[in-house]
Amino acid sequence: MAVYTGVVFPLVLVVCAALALAGAATLAFPRLHRAVQWAVPVTIGAVALQAVTVIVLLFSGADVDLILTLGYLIASVALLALLGIGRLGTPEAAAADPDPNRPVLSPVQIARVDAASALIVAVAIAVVSWRILVILESGA
Amino acid sequence: MNYVARIALIVAYAVLALAALGRSSYQISTKLAEAPVPYLVSGVSAALYLVIAIALWKRWAGVALVGTAIELAGVLVVGTLGYVEPTWWADETVWTGYGSAYGWVPLVLPIVALVMLVRERRAVLSSSEPAPSSGDAR
Repeated sequence: MAVYTGVVFPLVLVVCAALALAGAATLAFPRLHRAVQWAVPVTIGAVALQAVTVIVLLFSGADVDLILTLGYLIASVALLALLGIGRLGTPEAAAADPDPNRPVLSPVQIARVDAASALIVAVAIAVVSWRILVILESGA
Repeated sequence: MNYVARIALIVAYAVLALAALGRSSYQISTKLAEAPVPYLVSGVSAALYLVIAIALWKRWAGVALVGTAIELAGVLVVGTLGYVEPTWWADETVWTGYGSAYGWVPLVLPIVALVMLVRERRAVLSSSEPAPSSGDAR
């Protein structure tokens, strides 16, 4: 339990803050897109670490609401799919779609879409992690 | 509507749909009898968010417009009734307190979406109108 409250949760919060910062900076200056591209795998790693820690805690007999905890855990993983969503606007992705009206985004638009989704996902993951913390602490 | 704004809206609606779906499915499956109205309202809101996200993605402008209008009406009605008739609500819904539990995103999002969709609709209508003729018809 102390591992989650003392290490994993603060780490996830710091990573979410970095992701949000990178997103905000890229929204303002699209040439900083690389910052979001670097932050995405770090966020995936942090969420994966959180998932493993919580699952280990659950299996080690923590007295918490299993459905609720797993629900939030699944939500945190599902949110990752929205990171880097600008890739769906690349010419290659549009060419592979039978829809003739599928938009092709310019590199600046792709950067801004990635940045906006990074901002939203960073806030959402931070909230989900906080909810997991509340649930785990209530069972401690 | 520019693509960046549209996709940002889709992401925001997808996140809200995920949150509302998780909350309502848990409440409906485990304790529906305790507060059926609030939990069913949360279920309806979750379904609405999902429909709007898909409609924005598929560019079903009419569905998105109607969906966001219903959503805004729902947030305003449920939010107001929560203060006027608090005894009707045994528990909170996604729209309670005008979505205060979700940082008022449920209130702000449909307003932003409606403004964007109405602007887009006007732009489409004005571009489809025939240009005025320059000479007299004989």
